[in-house]
Amino acid sequence: MLQCIFLISDSGEVMLEKQLTGHRVDRSICAWFWDQSISQGDSFKLLPVIASPTHYLFQIVRDGITLLACSQVEMPPLMAIEFLCRVADVLSDYLGGLNEDLVKDNFIIVYELLDEMIDNGFPLTTEPSILREMIAPPNLVSKMLSVVTGNASNVSDTLPSGAGSCVPWRPTDPKYSSNEVYVDLVEEMDAIVNRDGELVKCEIYGEVQMNSQLSGFPDLTLSFANPSILEDMRFHPCVRFRPWESHQVLSFVPPDGEFKLMSYRVKKLKNTPVYVKPQITSDSGTCRISVLVGIRSDPGKTIESITLSFQLPYCVSSADLSSNHGTVTILSNKTCTWTIGRIPKDKTPCLSGTLVLETGLERLHVFPTFKIGFKIMGIALSGLRIEKLDLQTIPPRLYKGFRAQTRAGEFDVRL
Amino acid sequence: MFNKFGSTSETLSKASAVVHRIGTDAHLYDDPEDVNISPLLDSKFESEKCEALKRLLALIAQGFDVSNFFPQVVKNVASQSSEVKKLVYLYLLQYAEKRPNEALLSINYFQKDLGDPNPLVRAWALRTMAGIRLHVIAPIALAAVGKCARDPAVYVRKCAANALPKLHDLRLEEHASAIEELVGILLNDHSPGVVGAAAAAFTSICPNNFKLIGKNYKKLCQILPDVEEWGQILLIGTLLRYVVARHGLVRESLMLSLHGMDSNGFCEKDGLVRDLKLDKEEDGGKSDSFDVNLVSLVSKCYIEGPDEYLSRSSCPDTVSSAFDSKETTSIAHNEDVKILLQCTSPLLWSNNSAVVLAAAGVQWIMAPLEDVKKIVKPLLFLLRSSSASKYVVLCNILVFAKAIPSLFAPHFENFFICSSDAYQVKAYKLEMLSLIATTSSISSILREFEDYVKDPDRRFAADTVAAIGLCAKRLPTIPTTCLDGLLALVRQESFAGDFESVDGEAGVLVQAVMSIQTIIERDSLRHEKVLIQLFRSLDSIKVAAARATIIWMVGVYCSLGHIIPRMLTTITKYLAWSFKSEASETKLQILNTSAKVLNSAEADDFQMLKRVVIYVFELGECDFSYDVRDRTRFLKKLLSSKLACHELAEDSVASQENIVTHVVEHVFGRKLKPFSPLALHNRFYLPGSLSQIVLHAAPGYEPLPKPCSFVFEEQDQLSDLDRQREAVADLDGSRESSETVDEDGSSDYDSESSIGSDFSSDADERTVSNDANDPAAPLIQISETSVSADQEELRSKRALDLWLDDQPSTSNQTPSALNSNQSSYAKISIGDIGSRVKPKSYSLLDPGNGSGLKVGYTFLSEVSTVSPLHVCVEVLFENSSAEPILEVNLEDEESMKVADSSEQTLVGKANASYNNVPTLIPMEEISCLEPHQSAKRLIQVRFHHHLLPMRLTLHYNGKEVPVKLRPDLGYLVKPFSMSIEEFLATESRLPGMFEYSRRCTFDDHVKDSRMENGKDKFLSICECITLKVLSNSNLHLVSVDLPVANSLEDATGLRLRFSSKILSSEIPLLITITVEGKCTEVLNLTVKINCEETVFGLNLLNRIANFMVEPSSSAT
Repeated sequence: MLQCIFLISDSGEVMLEKQLTGHRVDRSICAWFWDQSISQGDSFKLLPVIASPTHYLFQIVRDGITLLACSQVEMPPLMAIEFLCRVADVLSDYLGGLNEDLVKDNFIIVYELLDEMIDNGFPLTTEPSILREMIAPPNLVSKMLSVVTGNASNVSDTLPSGAGSCVPWRPTDPKYSSNEVYVDLVEEMDAIVNRDGELVKCEIYGEVQMNSQLSGFPDLTLSFANPSILEDMRFHPCVRFRPWESHQVLSFVPPDGEFKLMSYRVKKLKNTPVYVKPQITSDSGTCRISVLVGIRSDPGKTIESITLSFQLPYCVSSADLSSNHGTVTILSNKTCTWTIGRIPKDKTPCLSGTLVLETGLERLHVFPTFKIGFKIMGIALSGLRIEKLDLQTIPPRLYKGFRAQTRAGEFDVRL
Repeated sequence: MFNKFGSTSETLSKASAVVHRIGTDAHLYDDPEDVNISPLLDSKFESEKCEALKRLLALIAQGFDVSNFFPQVVKNVASQSSEVKKLVYLYLLQYAEKRPNEALLSINYFQKDLGDPNPLVRAWALRTMAGIRLHVIAPIALAAVGKCARDPAVYVRKCAANALPKLHDLRLEEHASAIEELVGILLNDHSPGVVGAAAAAFTSICPNNFKLIGKNYKKLCQILPDVEEWGQILLIGTLLRYVVARHGLVRESLMLSLHGMDSNGFCEKDGLVRDLKLDKEEDGGKSDSFDVNLVSLVSKCYIEGPDEYLSRSSCPDTVSSAFDSKETTSIAHNEDVKILLQCTSPLLWSNNSAVVLAAAGVQWIMAPLEDVKKIVKPLLFLLRSSSASKYVVLCNILVFAKAIPSLFAPHFENFFICSSDAYQVKAYKLEMLSLIATTSSISSILREFEDYVKDPDRRFAADTVAAIGLCAKRLPTIPTTCLDGLLALVRQESFAGDFESVDGEAGVLVQAVMSIQTIIERDSLRHEKVLIQLFRSLDSIKVAAARATIIWMVGVYCSLGHIIPRMLTTITKYLAWSFKSEASETKLQILNTSAKVLNSAEADDFQMLKRVVIYVFELGECDFSYDVRDRTRFLKKLLSSKLACHELAEDSVASQENIVTHVVEHVFGRKLKPFSPLALHNRFYLPGSLSQIVLHAAPGYEPLPKPCSFVFEEQDQLSDLDRQREAVADLDGSRESSETVDEDGSSDYDSESSIGSDFSSDADERTVSNDANDPAAPLIQISETSVSADQEELRSKRALDLWLDDQPSTSNQTPSALNSNQSSYAKISIGDIGSRVKPKSYSLLDPGNGSGLKVGYTFLSEVSTVSPLHVCVEVLFENSSAEPILEVNLEDEESMKVADSSEQTLVGKANASYNNVPTLIPMEEISCLEPHQSAKRLIQVRFHHHLLPMRLTLHYNGKEVPVKLRPDLGYLVKPFSMSIEEFLATESRLPGMFEYSRRCTFDDHVKDSRMENGKDKFLSICECITLKVLSNSNLHLVSVDLPVANSLEDATGLRLRFSSKILSSEIPLLITITVEGKCTEVLNLTVKINCEETVFGLNLLNRIANFMVEPSSSAT
């Protein structure tokens, strides 16, 4: 089981250590870790499981903060990683983000949360809604209160009622004056367009996100009009397996507040909403590049915040890029971002310019990959449709809301 | 002193963010020691203590040793503030092991906290106490865990399960069996949350004690989907290990596929394999059946420990079928295996990737071959999670794919690389693609590879080139295309190679040459032209490693075909020419190749070659690198005979030099050993394990247990002791089940509201002999209840639990309980008493004050339908005046909200969540009440506090009269039906400060027994007491114990037990009334209450004692 968790800032400083068992882990392990990651570069920083001379290390990096967990014995590595991810989620939820200052400013809360989330190296309470009842998230009121009175406890002294029940994700009896439940289909399009301009892979990764504010003990059923298109799925623990197995209906008692009900994947889509047509010619040390972006198949809603970003190859010494629409920025690490926004009616956005190669190189032999970003509100590109959402007992003043949106996930266009 | 922790840039950014940091603990972290901490710790204000502790934690966070504050911190453990408490615990856990003596000071407080009514406080105390790791307190901690393992709160039991590994970690031999026993009890818990934690404890304490699993196997399987995700991960592994140990591997599974095919005994098996092959043909168009050797190796690896592995590695080629058919089982016949597969398969949909992988592992090992397919899609979907888990999942998928490539072959698109993948993930995906490529998919895969080669990440591009080589090697149909592409790449790279600033480019080139070499190796004759092209490109290739490889190939293939031998002279000349400017790596290869070429040279070129070689050797002898010089001398000596002779004539070789020739033949003999991938990674670990990722057995790694190593003892073979333990566990369990129902929050309280018509609980009937089923059951059923005696024993066995009683627990040791003479009791059940219960009525409004309106009220035992907090009250209105009274109504006093502050503060926290529930469900208005007419109305009231009256306003004839409705404590509880066993179990869990008793007298029966002389005296006493109690409170009669051995006159030892739950908090409350004295005289009663809610319990105790003494209303 896990023995210790360290939070390390992006400059290598150990911000926080939490020993979990009697087998203390000296923080010199962090020094070893940091030396290694400096000497071995990024590929080490991205290695989630590391066998150090004394410990096995599990690491995840979130917004520059490295969460490092140590163990000396065999344990499922995915358990450690999933747990660290959960910690990072909870922390960023509590602190409204995750960075060095936020962690240091709220280190007491971080300690209290860690203490509650893991006991003796084994996860204890990880359900966000229950944690919220045990340890109050910092908010403006409590901050002001602590300024005025000098004292404000954020540790609840009663056990959340849900912590022991057979629906551990739900507080026993929440009360709302108006009962509301919102279902959001949030989809991400993963696509790969290869260098020949061919769509190699195009699929949708989607999540059914819900925000439930229902009193009492509601029992919900959500059904889709076309569940057969779903290739893979994963469910929140609240979803009962049997109804899904028998007739593909989601039946569940929801947690309180926001949560992810399920995630799914729809494969083998035929079309992407936008097209990107890059062209590049290189000759005697300079390249001419032009990229056209346009709408391929109109989804019926406006496509917003289209962006295109790519890493200039290392052998490019300077770049001069301009566009007829939107803005182009090139950062010092050679990341180039073209922010298009919406596509204008009258023209096709075009990025063009020249790249100067380093001396000695005639032609470009490596090519960047464009990462595309976009967002479409009000539509789920997978075509998944929610048929109905039923409550077993309908409370008074029930409001149900449905929304959908699609954005680009891992959308690569190779030049 | 600690300034170094804020660098200057940081300070600047902090200055700008200062506004956001107000009210946070930022200043504490930045300058933890800017004030003196010690006085703050001694402060009498909680807030200052809190600040001091936060400063200490900040120092701990920054890696300083602040254990010198230990004594001061320890005494704050007594603080009432939960935050201070929590912070102290955090500090204690950090340093307790260092300062054992001071840590002992805190033990008393933990013991006290362990008896706290708040489950959270109990859990914290337990966690800290078990976590401070002192051998001295281990027995106390163990007792505490044992107690908490039976705690009513699930959370506390969960923490108890988590505490067990902490104790186990102290390596206390003498307590090992007690700890394992507790694991067993917790595994048998009814709450899924506890079972999950217990599974974790099991894994770390006694992973091979399969007896514990065997007892609950089916139940554990059923509960598995409800267990929390983290518990599921470990529980799945535990169940798998159990099934293997109990039943062995499954014959139809992949693990034994080799076995099945070898022996002719399993014909059905062959059919299965054929099916699988057919599937593959459909999928990939290529009958690439799985690698039988590899699969059997994998299954061997899963089962054998490190010792066997080491012993086997000495003779690695023997992959014999190690499994006896006796040690296997068949899914068709084995229920346990079937259940395991059924209960794990829905977990493939879990949100937690670790659960999915664990479930997939079970299916992989146990499922029949044709079902293994179903793990593919869930595993692939995991690749769309965080990059860290992606890496681990890929590692595991790789093993699966190595064993059965066809499993993943149709899904090759999932392994296409996106630009955001980490390098390691990309590398694994490439390996995957090269593993699963089939003739039908190779074209798309190769097209992808072409793209990757142009990727700016040159290390990745180099790996891609290697992958191309692997693909070409696996699929014999494609090498030509691959080779063309690779050659083009070599040409292109050799240009780019000019550009020396980048290491990556060289890597790609080297890899390209190596890949070509790998492909050529298979069928070198066919690829002669490729070789020639490669040799020609030597001139343009500048990278030393690539050159070295090509030069090596010259040596190896120097006699291949017709063209190459003719080119040799030119190439050797060129090499000799370039020798001086080469890197030493290349020089070595030139020397080797020269020697090889000379050795195989044909007569025509021999002289020429000899001269060149001599030249090269001369250069080599004067080289800067001693490696090169050594190699040159060695080769020169070896070839001295060849170099010496002028003509290539075999005859001239003297016989004494035959040995040298042999050596030469051996050294340069071009027999390339076929490269076997099996030799590289021939160690596999269980799927999902850490060892599989780091590729060595991590400490604590356990392979699957030996098949059928565990022989399950049937239930009837269990020792008596075990059975007894089980009985206790069951008892715990059944109580738990009823509790969890309540915790569900379903407002289904009505089921409890049966009004006293049948007081004999089911449990009573169970203990009674068979004739209890007789419809005409007598009022009293006497039977020797040895069961109850056993339980007394059990209870005394748990006397250890009472260690935390600060005050001597005299109350628990009522004389009869410990008197061994009276260990034999009879149980009686009293029926038909409900009709005689007459609740007491109180007056709300006196006719004198109310101008003729008399209002009385009676508490009803019914449970309110509105909310569990409401009490039903029947109000009786009577018009004693001569005129009709109009519009009579009772209303909640509006001024309630501004009521005196005392009332406000008394509103318990437990009620806080119910604050929006109305305090009064109003009654129907009585429009008109004629003279001498009376009317009954039902109201439902929620009292703010169990002692304070409720202010109501009575409306009638347009007037408003304030009245006070006084709560009757006896009706602020509701009956809670439980069996006697449950009662005793609950009682034993509530000792010490949760137990209080009071003595009083009772004389109702004296009048009563005079009235009914014919009746049994004991019975009438029982009835009287029961009647009295039930007329004044809303309880459930659990049991009546009669002392059998006593004389007829002596009522001493008569004991009545009542159970109830407090309305507001659902906390169980137990009442035991023990009688002393003669039947015909005034009796002395001891009333004992066990309840977690101390204040309420004490008040109720007083109330009961009071009404017992009061003259009975029914009698008057």
